[in-house]
Amino acid sequence: MPDILLIVDHDKELAQALAVYLQRQQFEVLLADSKIEALEIIQSRSPAIVLVDPHFPETDPLAFLQQMKERIPHSQFIIYGPLDALEKIMGPFNTSALAYIRKPVNSIELDFGLKKAGEWAALETEHDKITQKIKELQNAQILLQQLFDEVPCYITVQDHHFRVTATNRLFKRDFGNEIGGYCYQIYKHRDTPCTNCPVADTFKDGRRHQTEEVVTSKSGVQYHVLTWTAPIRNEAGEITQVMEMATNITQIRQLQDHLTSLGLMLGSMSHGIKGMLTALDGGIYLLETGISRQDPKRTERALDQVRLMVKRIRKMVLDILYFTKSRELEYRQTDIHELIESISGTITPSAAAHNIDFIVTLPPTPARMEIDPDWLRASLINFLENAVDSCVSDSDRKTHHIRFDTRMTGDDRVCFNISDNGLGMDRETREKMFSLFFSSKGSKGTGLGLFIANHVVGQHGGAIHVESEPGKGTRFEICIPRTRTSPKVEMPELTRP
Amino acid sequence: MTKKILIIEDDAAVADYLQTFFEDNGYTAFTAISAQGGYELAKKEQPDLITLDIELPDEWGPRFYRKLTADKALKNIPVIVISGLSGNKYAVTKAVASLSKPFDRDELLKIVKETIG
Repeated sequence: MPDILLIVDHDKELAQALAVYLQRQQFEVLLADSKIEALEIIQSRSPAIVLVDPHFPETDPLAFLQQMKERIPHSQFIIYGPLDALEKIMGPFNTSALAYIRKPVNSIELDFGLKKAGEWAALETEHDKITQKIKELQNAQILLQQLFDEVPCYITVQDHHFRVTATNRLFKRDFGNEIGGYCYQIYKHRDTPCTNCPVADTFKDGRRHQTEEVVTSKSGVQYHVLTWTAPIRNEAGEITQVMEMATNITQIRQLQDHLTSLGLMLGSMSHGIKGMLTALDGGIYLLETGISRQDPKRTERALDQVRLMVKRIRKMVLDILYFTKSRELEYRQTDIHELIESISGTITPSAAAHNIDFIVTLPPTPARMEIDPDWLRASLINFLENAVDSCVSDSDRKTHHIRFDTRMTGDDRVCFNISDNGLGMDRETREKMFSLFFSSKGSKGTGLGLFIANHVVGQHGGAIHVESEPGKGTRFEICIPRTRTSPKVEMPELTRP
Repeated sequence: MTKKILIIEDDAAVADYLQTFFEDNGYTAFTAISAQGGYELAKKEQPDLITLDIELPDEWGPRFYRKLTADKALKNIPVIVISGLSGNKYAVTKAVASLSKPFDRDELLKIVKETIG
């Protein structure tokens, strides 16, 4: 498409002659011989070049030029006219025009002006393109910065000395805003670089390296992270910095632990379940034969048997449910007397059924403590049920007792003391009793009870102290802070039975 | 004279089931809840058959079996293993049978009858 060229001149004949000349040079030429016509044309067309003699009768040539320039700012102006008139315009209009040509028009001058206009237009197009590119680059940079910040990993850029030169938002949130600090200090609180550092490896060989690390945040929480490194090179291809991306995989690790122990549990649980099913079979056999023989005593025995098995199965199912559900505690202010009474209410009947003296001592003054009453109650009952079992299994002694005392300590803890004169434990049992699936009760135990009890006490920030000797009995002391403490994050260590 | 069966089983509920079941079928039955108690009872009563659990509080079933077979007076007593452990067939290889808990009582009775009548 040819460029549009507008000629504005009161001398119509001259304009037409110029038009012929310019059309030959491949311009589409428009003509205006009055001010009004010129302004009209530029309303609908935007000429690339305006060749204008601004001298019209009763017109301020400068004002007219400025009016035109305002409306078509991107057009190139070549102004021509008599020399004296031109001089008046050249002063104020100056570089707003590309060229000033004397009348009568010299073709060399005109061609030169047009050539300049063409070059200028090309430059402007180029300029526009570059401006556009810079804008795009800026947008891209903003986008990259956003990506860098929003990536759900910890990103650091490090120099040869492992000094951190850039970090993203997540890193700042968990590890602080420091720039220029040492990676090993921030992540690991070390004074010297780590051995097997993936960043060092990448500086050495220019490849990506992967490691798994345990790091500690500014608030002291430990995270498992999977790190990836990548080199950053300068124009010469030399590695100047290394970027490290660390993905927090703490939750995955926890889940993995959980799944491992779940698998372990299902394996070892099947044995206990088989025992219970057999005993339940026995109960049903007694029931069937009791009814068919019309033997009420046997039927009653059968019912007891079935009841007992239902109780055992219920306990096992609850243990499994506890184990598989999430372990968030629900803290409530709990009255200590009420807690103890509800616990002893559960134990008293089974102690009485086995002729065991069950002696409960309440703390002298009523008080409250902040705990998850359901879970703490269940774990204390677990210790007490073990005490009952251990008295029942002990045939050496004629009389048995279980003491359940509670006292408050000076450092604001509540200590529950559970002691019995039952079987007692040897050292091996004592050391293993809190491990998952360890049971001293053969097929009757699930190996979950004390594991869970221990876990619940740990979650409450409490501690368990055990004294036990075979033939002498056992004493447990379970101490729990009266007010809520920060929860422990780590999982208990799992020991295979 | 009725035949005598010794039940060695630490789960009282299962032991009670076995004892009642054997008595209902015309046998005399005794129960021991530990390996030691089982050994003493075996010596005293000279049973015609023993049912043995693998997991006992004081000793493993296979070790008890070795102790049993080392005793001239007891070594010919047939043993049926009844256990919740999988793979118990290999625990006592000379046992006349190995049953998994929960077991089929008709099958158990059939084996008992075939063994001691």
